[in-house]
Amino acid sequence: MKIDDFKKINIEVERLHYDRLEKEPGRDWKRYFTFSTDHKVIGIQYLVTAFFFFLVGGIFAMIIRAELITPASDLVDRTVYNGMFTMHGTIMLFLWTFPSLVGLANYLVPIQIGAEDMAFPRLNAAAFWLVPVVAILTIAGFFVPGGSAQAGWWSYPPVSTQNPTGFLINGQFLWILAIFVSGISSIMGAVNFVTTIFRMRAPGMTLFRMPIFVWTVLSAQIIQLFGLPALTAGSVMLMCDLTVGTTFFDPALGGDAVLFQHFFWFYSHPAVYVIILPIFGIFSEIFPVYSRKPLFGYHVVAISSIIIAAVSALVWVHHMYASGTANWMRLVFMISTMCVSVPTGIKVFAWLGTIWRGKLRFNTAMLFALGGLVMFVFAGITGIMLAAVPIDIHVNNTYFVVGHFHYVLYGTVTMGMFAAIYHWFPKMTGRMYNEGWGQIHFWLTFLGTNLNFFPMHSLGLHGMLRRVASYAPEYMFSNVLASLGGFLLGMSTLPFIFNIIISWIDGEKAGNNPWRAIGLEWLVASPPPIENFDEIPIVISEPYGYGKSEPLTLDRPFIEVETIEKITLATTDNQVEINNN
Amino acid sequence: MNNDSIAQQPEFLPDINTFYQNSLHKIHDHEGHSMFGFIVFLLSESIIFLSFFAGYIVYKTNTVDWLPPGVSGLEVKEPLINTVILISSSFVIYLAERELHRNNLPGFRFYLIATMAMGSYFLYGQAIEWNSLEFGFTSGVFGGTFYLLTGFHGLHVFTGVLLQGIMLSRSFIPGNYDTGHFGINATSLFWHFVDVIWIILFVLIYVWQ
Amino acid sequence: MKIRNILIILGAVALNTFVSLYIGESAYNWLPVQAAAESLLVDRLFSFLVTLGAFIFLGVTGTLIYSMIFHRAAEYDLSDGPAIEGNLTLEIVWTVIPILLVFWIAGYSYQVYVKMAIRGPMEHAHSHQMEAVSVAENREKIEVISKQWAWVFRYPDRNITSTELHLPVDRRVHLALTSEDVIHGFYIPAFRVKQDIIPNHKIDFEFTPIREGNYRLTDSQYSGTFFATMAANVVVESAEDYQNWLEDAAKRKPSAAYNQAAFEYNQELQHPHASGWQTIAPASPPVVNYHN
Repeated sequence: MKIDDFKKINIEVERLHYDRLEKEPGRDWKRYFTFSTDHKVIGIQYLVTAFFFFLVGGIFAMIIRAELITPASDLVDRTVYNGMFTMHGTIMLFLWTFPSLVGLANYLVPIQIGAEDMAFPRLNAAAFWLVPVVAILTIAGFFVPGGSAQAGWWSYPPVSTQNPTGFLINGQFLWILAIFVSGISSIMGAVNFVTTIFRMRAPGMTLFRMPIFVWTVLSAQIIQLFGLPALTAGSVMLMCDLTVGTTFFDPALGGDAVLFQHFFWFYSHPAVYVIILPIFGIFSEIFPVYSRKPLFGYHVVAISSIIIAAVSALVWVHHMYASGTANWMRLVFMISTMCVSVPTGIKVFAWLGTIWRGKLRFNTAMLFALGGLVMFVFAGITGIMLAAVPIDIHVNNTYFVVGHFHYVLYGTVTMGMFAAIYHWFPKMTGRMYNEGWGQIHFWLTFLGTNLNFFPMHSLGLHGMLRRVASYAPEYMFSNVLASLGGFLLGMSTLPFIFNIIISWIDGEKAGNNPWRAIGLEWLVASPPPIENFDEIPIVISEPYGYGKSEPLTLDRPFIEVETIEKITLATTDNQVEINNN
Repeated sequence: MNNDSIAQQPEFLPDINTFYQNSLHKIHDHEGHSMFGFIVFLLSESIIFLSFFAGYIVYKTNTVDWLPPGVSGLEVKEPLINTVILISSSFVIYLAERELHRNNLPGFRFYLIATMAMGSYFLYGQAIEWNSLEFGFTSGVFGGTFYLLTGFHGLHVFTGVLLQGIMLSRSFIPGNYDTGHFGINATSLFWHFVDVIWIILFVLIYVWQ
Repeated sequence: MKIRNILIILGAVALNTFVSLYIGESAYNWLPVQAAAESLLVDRLFSFLVTLGAFIFLGVTGTLIYSMIFHRAAEYDLSDGPAIEGNLTLEIVWTVIPILLVFWIAGYSYQVYVKMAIRGPMEHAHSHQMEAVSVAENREKIEVISKQWAWVFRYPDRNITSTELHLPVDRRVHLALTSEDVIHGFYIPAFRVKQDIIPNHKIDFEFTPIREGNYRLTDSQYSGTFFATMAANVVVESAEDYQNWLEDAAKRKPSAAYNQAAFEYNQELQHPHASGWQTIAPASPPVVNYHN
């Protein structure tokens, strides 16, 4: 075959493909409301649903901050306040961070490894459609007698099993059910991701050619697989205690209240890594693009994700230094917890190495990633302090901890999430967002986050406890600052929402690769066609080859026999000659 | 691309094409994906049991009044018979699988029905045992963990029998095995898993008293 | 050129060290007064970690900001940066140094923890010797009873109960913490000590107040609706004042103390909230010898 023939064939393939897309049913907005099995549709479904609940959780947060702007409990009842922080935590974790990251992974992982879809598309859709069920169960708590669950998102017994209403169906009951369904959804997702990543990689896409985002999703989903079952076991027992009257966690009747804490934290601490690891992946994708340099120390960064996943199974007791845990446990878990900082530090330094001497461009995505990195370093440092038993004994359950984990979950995770949305927005929608509004969004978020969560550290050091509806007047000043920051954060989502909606409808058309980024997702159209690739690519080099001018994939020097046959059949109708010698 | 690079390709083309075809084969091996995914799922599922076992050990070693008043311990004899039957059924389902691979459908159905019968007998035996016990689910952590563990395991046995029933009925659909044996392989694996869990459970609850 | 670079780096490190030391020193001001011997130890560790943390934070953000200022791409510069994929020496350095740091921090924290010797809940089960020592030293023994949502302190030697915790200064205090319903937490910020109280367990807890004054004890483990109200005054006083207080309290007849949770609950019974969300009823206000 001669070169011209290749060209002809390729053009024809593309045209055929285009025709197919035009005919494809449901290529409009309606498909987002169907049981679609396309991983990209499911990804968007996850992201939009999750963002809606981010706003719901945010409104709860603002009610909390409004209550705390004065020392007295004067805005809402204490019961309602307790319901607010319980639901704020539950919604932000189980309906914002988890689903949004699963959504992003759903969208990106198959394309990034060169697959047509996830390994189990129907399971994928089913996992997504469980999320609305979780949402309904969670929100239903507000409409049952006695109100929603009020025991905090930890739901420690015996408080969580006290059930003041005496009804079988109560807020706590619905809460446990919601967690249970969320767990089923997450396990379905995890099985799907692990199978997809291990078995659906394009030819030549070896493990060490996978983008770091894929590595981090893999690590995170492995944590789901070994961690979630422990929470499920604990919540089954909690449910039995609450409804049928078993005494697993009731100390008055021979039960062990602390055992629940072990079950809970065995999952819920690693759950933090489930959330943060993909964000590390996002940082690792974004810094090279906007610095025009390869990721510094790719192999080490990849492996450190897996190490974090492994170590995460051995740190849970650091949440229980002040509980009834034995001394030896406090010390063993102090060391294991601090060890997490080593692989994490490696990543931070690798990002620094990537940025150093790069050709930096401060697009919105890069700004969010940089802001997220700075706040993550801060959170990491307070994290080390919290790992030290003597300091934790002082600040455990105080606003110091609240400040610390909001720097992680807002400062890093949510900022990273925004970075990802801006970075891949052109790919997902085929449109460019408005850069100016993006930057305004960044600055409002960055200021709001620091104003909201930095004063909390001081409050905690002075002994203000979390989950209080009223507090001593001496804590007022920092609380007012934090509340103002909270409202600013609430406002900061508005430019984002308008930017995204208007750009999606009427943004400038984006090319396949507006950032000149290297990666399989940037080789396909924006938005990508239904099965992502005209033909599965052959990957021939490591990711992040900036400045190396080597191709990522083999540039179609070959052609499948079957394809040729297909094309011959198809093209004979169109009277295109194929000179197949 | 210029003509020079094209000119080099004939040597290179067959190899890369073979590699590509083999890779596509692997990527489209849906039955293999399903089995892989199922194994991953079972590994995860086993952690639920491990958590329950860990909880049981904690309770057993820390609780002061372990047995509820009036209970002297658990009868081992009948559960042991039950255990033997359940474990034997693992071999029987293996035979069923073997018959299927030999394309002997009647033999496959015979052994599958035998497995179902043994599984059902196990459930029946457990129901008899539950009925005869003088303590209930809410009789302290002993009663709680006992019924939780045996009940949760029983649920898995029931699921296993149900899956076997589905496999049995599907064996009458013509052309059911054209796309491979994933269904029966997974059912069989699940059955072995349920057996292994039972052995640990039996040791923890009945042997270690 | 090379020497100049090294000098610049050394200068930056020196400046960073100086600033970090300053921040670490001022960290003492971020904490409440040091009212117990334990607080001295905890604060020193905190100051140490703040110094270290400040050094790392300033180092990382400083490098980042330098990069952001000096390594921006020019407007029409579409070229790539240098294709540096890693540096083995650097990678080893930034793996090994954090490992050493982690062990240093953990070792130091462990030392502090041992010195604090506030005792875990499990200790009394297998250290009868220490129990004997504590009796011999004649530590001040006080029973702490927590319930939804009140604190009661019982002085067993004098058979006095109080809703205010009085402690003698400069003397080791031995508390027996108990809970009547759910998990509570014993926390006095000025003492830097905290311990969850597990129902059905007696938890031994020790510390040494070293500064006279009034402090605040709060419930540190979320315990339900009126969690925020569950606080008590802590009065650290001289041995003499303490004895006087004991004498005085012993003379008083037990009567019901004011209890914020019970007060609010009764008000709610009369004027129910619009939300109608129920709560567990608080325990009736404690009947004690001494309350204010």
